[in-house]
Amino acid sequence: MENLSAKIEAADSLESLEQVRVEVFGKKGALAAEFAKLKDVPGPEKKAFAAGLNTQKADLQALFDRRHAELAEAALEAQLKAEAIDVTLYAQASEQGALHPVMETMDKIIDYFVAMNFAVETGPMVEDDFHNFEALNLPKFHPARDMQDTFYFGDGSLLRTHTSPVQIRTMLSQEPPIRIIAPGTVFRRDYDLTHTPMFHQVEGLVVEEDGKVSFANLKYILTDFLHHMFGEVDVRFRPSFFPFTEPSAEVDISCIFCEGEGCRVCSHTGWLEVLGSGVVDPNVFKAVGYEGVSGYAFGLGVERFAMLMHKIPDLRSLFEGDIRLLEQFK
Amino acid sequence: MIITRTWLEEFIDLEGISNTQLYETFNAIGLEVDSLTEYTIPEKVVVGRIVACNRHPDADKLSLCLIDIGMDEPQQIICGAANVVEAEYVAVATIGAVLPGDFEIKPAKLRGIESFGMVCSSKELGLPEMGDGIMILDESIGALEVGRELGSYPKVADTVIELELTANRGDCLSIHGVARDLSAALDRPIKPYKLGKITKSNVGIARKIAIQSDRNIPSDLQYFLVENREPRSRFLPTLRLALVGVNSVDTIDTMVRYSTHATGVILRAYDAKKLYNSDGKITLNAQHGKQGLVVISHDDQALSAVGIEQSDTFRAHDDTKEILFEASYIDPTLLVETVSSNKLETDTLYYNTSRGSEPKLSLGSHYLQNTCNAMGECLFYEGDFSIHTKREERAVGASVETLSAIIGNPVRKTTVHTILKRLGFDIRGSSGDTFGVRIPPHRHDIVNVQDIAEEILRITGIDNIEAKPLELLEQNRMTDASRRYRFKRDLRERAVAAGFYEVVTYAFADRSKLEAYGFPTVETSLELVNPIVEELNTLRTTLMTNLLDALKRNVSYGIKRIPLFEVGAVFDAQRQQTERVAFVWSRQREHDRLDNQGKPAAITFADFVERLGRVVGDLELIPCEETHALIHPYQSATLLRKGRAVGYLTKLHPTVAKEYDLGETFVAELDLEAILPEHILAHPVSNYQGVYKDISVLVDVTLPYRAIHAAIAAAKVPLLKRHYVVDVYEDESLSDRKSVTVRLFVQSEEGTLSDTDIDASVDAVLKTLETQCQATLR
Repeated sequence: MENLSAKIEAADSLESLEQVRVEVFGKKGALAAEFAKLKDVPGPEKKAFAAGLNTQKADLQALFDRRHAELAEAALEAQLKAEAIDVTLYAQASEQGALHPVMETMDKIIDYFVAMNFAVETGPMVEDDFHNFEALNLPKFHPARDMQDTFYFGDGSLLRTHTSPVQIRTMLSQEPPIRIIAPGTVFRRDYDLTHTPMFHQVEGLVVEEDGKVSFANLKYILTDFLHHMFGEVDVRFRPSFFPFTEPSAEVDISCIFCEGEGCRVCSHTGWLEVLGSGVVDPNVFKAVGYEGVSGYAFGLGVERFAMLMHKIPDLRSLFEGDIRLLEQFK
Repeated sequence: MIITRTWLEEFIDLEGISNTQLYETFNAIGLEVDSLTEYTIPEKVVVGRIVACNRHPDADKLSLCLIDIGMDEPQQIICGAANVVEAEYVAVATIGAVLPGDFEIKPAKLRGIESFGMVCSSKELGLPEMGDGIMILDESIGALEVGRELGSYPKVADTVIELELTANRGDCLSIHGVARDLSAALDRPIKPYKLGKITKSNVGIARKIAIQSDRNIPSDLQYFLVENREPRSRFLPTLRLALVGVNSVDTIDTMVRYSTHATGVILRAYDAKKLYNSDGKITLNAQHGKQGLVVISHDDQALSAVGIEQSDTFRAHDDTKEILFEASYIDPTLLVETVSSNKLETDTLYYNTSRGSEPKLSLGSHYLQNTCNAMGECLFYEGDFSIHTKREERAVGASVETLSAIIGNPVRKTTVHTILKRLGFDIRGSSGDTFGVRIPPHRHDIVNVQDIAEEILRITGIDNIEAKPLELLEQNRMTDASRRYRFKRDLRERAVAAGFYEVVTYAFADRSKLEAYGFPTVETSLELVNPIVEELNTLRTTLMTNLLDALKRNVSYGIKRIPLFEVGAVFDAQRQQTERVAFVWSRQREHDRLDNQGKPAAITFADFVERLGRVVGDLELIPCEETHALIHPYQSATLLRKGRAVGYLTKLHPTVAKEYDLGETFVAELDLEAILPEHILAHPVSNYQGVYKDISVLVDVTLPYRAIHAAIAAAKVPLLKRHYVVDVYEDESLSDRKSVTVRLFVQSEEGTLSDTDIDASVDAVLKTLETQCQATLR
C-alpha cells in the first residue's frame, strides 16, 4: 500500500497518473485484489478488515484527487504558456475611416434640434435675389448687403450667402406652426486665413401664432443648446443687428480655452461669439404673406463650432481632405 | 467707431463709472467693444517750457535748448527735431524716466555737449504718431504747469475704445451719438452743448450769400462764413484724431474732421474767395438731380454732391483767407440707392452719410465754430444760412402688452418711457396700456414696434430677461429632408466603417480642367460672373476633380493608404443641383501591419468593389458606359443597383494618375438619389432544404460573365433560386477558351428535392449555356 501511494505521488503527467489509476483503482488493480481477499477473512475479523481497506481506499482516492488536480493545473498552465503571444505587437491603427469634423459637428447640432422636435428642411444652393435678400428684409442697396459678399451668375442668380432662404421657402410652402432647422452649404466671396468661399450653417426658425413666441423663448433654447454643445459654459446675449430679426442678439460663450480669463483665441475678451439670433422681423412675415404670427430665428457657422470644439487651428485645412487631420477623429 | 473717454465726457458725465463698467455697458447695449486701450504716460515725463533754443555749435540738425522743467534752473537738453524751434511747451522725459522699449533717460553727451533729458515725440511716449517731430503742447489739454507729470493730464493719458457698430446704427458714428446711447443705459442726462463766445463781424451772412434751391430737396444744409487769420494747430484735436485713427491733411481739415467725429454732422470747408461773383456775393445752387442726389454748385461748377463727395477745386486750405463752412444731412435710404444704382464715386464720409449722419446740423456747426475759435483768430459773419427740409414726422404706436409679448417678460410702462426719452424719442398720447412714440430724425432705423422692443431689450439688458421654454403642440416633423438626412448619415457611417475618410471640398471647380477631362460644364450664360480665383471659377459637375486634388495632397504628405469619400452637391449644364457620393482609394489597401509584413498590397479592383458594397449594398457591374478621361478602358464599370444604373467605378486612367502623381487608384461616383433605400416587400422563404451544385463550363475567353449570368436568368429554370460565379480559370492549354464555375442553388417551396429534380435543373442550365453561350461542360 505504501508502494501505491508512492506511485501516485510519482506520476508526473496526467497520462502516467491515468496509468497509475488503472493499476490502483482499476477492476484488476491493486485495491480490487485487496478487496478480493475479503472473502477469505474469517467472519469476526471481516468487519475490521473491510473498514481498514475502505480507509486505505479513501486515503488513496484523496491522494489521487489531489495529484490529479495538481497535474491538471500544471497541464493547463503548460497549454496556456504554449499559446503565449506578444500582444504588444498588435497595437495597430484601425482600418476604419472617420467622419469629417465639420459634418460630425453638424450631426451633433441636428441631433439636438431633432430631439427638440425640429424638422430638417433644405433648399437649393443657387438662389435668387428674392429668397436670399429681398424677402429677408434686405432690400437692394441696404448697407447690410455689404456684410455678405456674394457670388453672382450671368443670369442674375446667386449662390446663397446664408441658409436663411430656406426659411422663406419653407414659409412659402407650409402653413404655421413652423419649427425647422436648415443645415446647409453657403457661399461668400471671401478667401483668406479666416474665410473660405464655402462654409456651412445651421439655421433655425420657429413660427407660432401672434404673441406666443418671444425673445425669452429664444434665450431659453439657445442657452440649453450651447450647454449641449460646449458643456457648462457661461452664455451671454449681446444686442445686435440683423435685417431679418428684431430684436436681434449675438450670443457668446465664455471662452472654452481660458475659461474666461482672456487668451489669444478669444482676443483676450474671455468670450467667443458663436450664434446670431432674434425675433423674426414683421417685414419677413409680410414677404411670405403670413399674418398674425410671431417667431424666432437663429443661425450659426458649423466650421466655427467644429474649430472651437476640437481646437482646430486652421479653417482652410478643413477643405483639403488632409488625412493627417482627419485620422485624429477616428 | 473709435471714441476716447475724455472726449465722451464732453457730452456725458462719467464720474464714478470705471472703464470696466463702460466696457460691459457698451457690450450690453449692442455697441460691441472690439478693444479698449488705456494709454499711460511714463513717469518723470513732464511739461517743459523752452526758455531758449539755439543751434548746436557742432551739429546743424541739433538744437541746444534750455528748458524749464520746474527745477531750480532750466535744464540743458539737446533736441534733434526740426519743429522744436516753433515750440514753447513740450513733453520732456527727465533723467530717470523709462520710455516704452525699456529706454531709460540718462545724462548724455551729444557732439561734446551735455544733455539732461529728452524732448519727446508722441511715438516715443507710446502714443500714436502725430506728424513729424516732437509734440508741441498747448492749453487745449488743460492749464500747463511746468514740471507737472504729463500722465496726470487725463486728456493725454486717455482711454480709447473701439466699438464695432452694426450697419443700422449710423446714429452712433460720433462721440455725441455714443454718449446719447450711453445716457439711456446709465440713466444720466446728456450735457447740453452750447456755442461758446466767438468773435463776430458786424456784417450779416445774408449780405454775402444767396442760395437758389430746388423745392423739397431731400437734404438739410447750413452755411456759415469765417474770416480766417492764421489757423494754429492745436494739440488736443490732433492727439484725439491720432487716437481714433482719423487722418487729416492740414489744420483746417483737422478742425472739420474733429468736429464731424465729435458730433456726427457732415461738415465741409470751401474757399469762399473762389466763389464770389463780380458783385461781391456768393450765389450757390442746390439742385435736386436724380432721386436722392443733391448737387451744390457755383456757376455750373459743382462744389459738392451732398453726402457723397466734394470738389477739390473749392476745398479750403490753411492759407484760405475766407472759409465757407457747410453742414449737411441727406436721407440715407435715398442716397444709398442713388449711389449704388449709378455707381457714383464717394469719399470717406459716405460711410457716415450712407448709414445716416447726425441730422441736428446746429450741433455740428456749433462744435466747429468753437473749435475754430480755439484754433485761431477767426471772425464769424453774423448768423448762418440754412435750408431745412420738412420731413414727415414718424411715429409708431406701442403698448406695454405688445412689448412684453415680444420680449417674453413683463415690462413696466415707466421704464419704457424713461428709456425712450433718454434715447431722444418723445412719448405722445399715452393712455392706459398704449402710447405713441415719435421717432427722432437720427433714428431712421426705427420703423415698427419690434424696433421699439429692441431698444427696450438692449437698454434693460438681455441678462435681465428670464429665459422660458416655449410650449408647443405635438407634431410629426419627420419631413422628406429629415429622412434624406438620416439616410446620408447612415451611408456616411457605413463608409467610415468600410475604411473611408469623409472629406468636404468646395462646390466649385476649374472650368478648363472639367473641359479637359470631358466632364460637362455649366452653360456659359449661366456661369459665375465673379469667381474668387481661377481654379474655382465654375460650379462642379463632378466630385472627382476635387477628390483627385485631395489624393495628390495626401500623397505629397507621404500618406500610404488614402481612402476618401465625399457626399456633396454637383450641378449639370443647366445648373440643376443633385447630390452624389464619391469614393476614391489610392495606394495601399491596408496599413503597414504585422500580418502583411509591412508590405501590404495595393488596392485592387476586387477590393474596391467589396469596400463599395459594404457602403452601398448589393451591386452589379456591367461594362462602363461613362466616357470621361478618368475612365480606364479595361477596368471600369457602370454600377447597377436593383437593375438600375447608379454610377460608375473605374481604375483611374494611368494618364490622369500620372498628372496627379498618384499610384494605384480606384474611383467611383454614385448618384445619391439612385441609391436611396426603397420600400421592401418580403417574399416567403421555403422551409425545405436546398442544394448547391457547381458546374464548370468552357466558354470563349472574351465572353463577359454577365452574358452567362443573364442567359441563366433568362432561362427561368424551375427551382433555380440563385446562381453566381465562384471561379474563373484561364490557361494556355485551354487556348481561346476559359473555364467558368457557376454555383447553382436549387430549392423547392413544396417539398424535399429528389435527385431527379436537381439533375433536371442542372441539365436545363447546361443546355441553356450550350445554346446561348456556346459553352461546353468541362
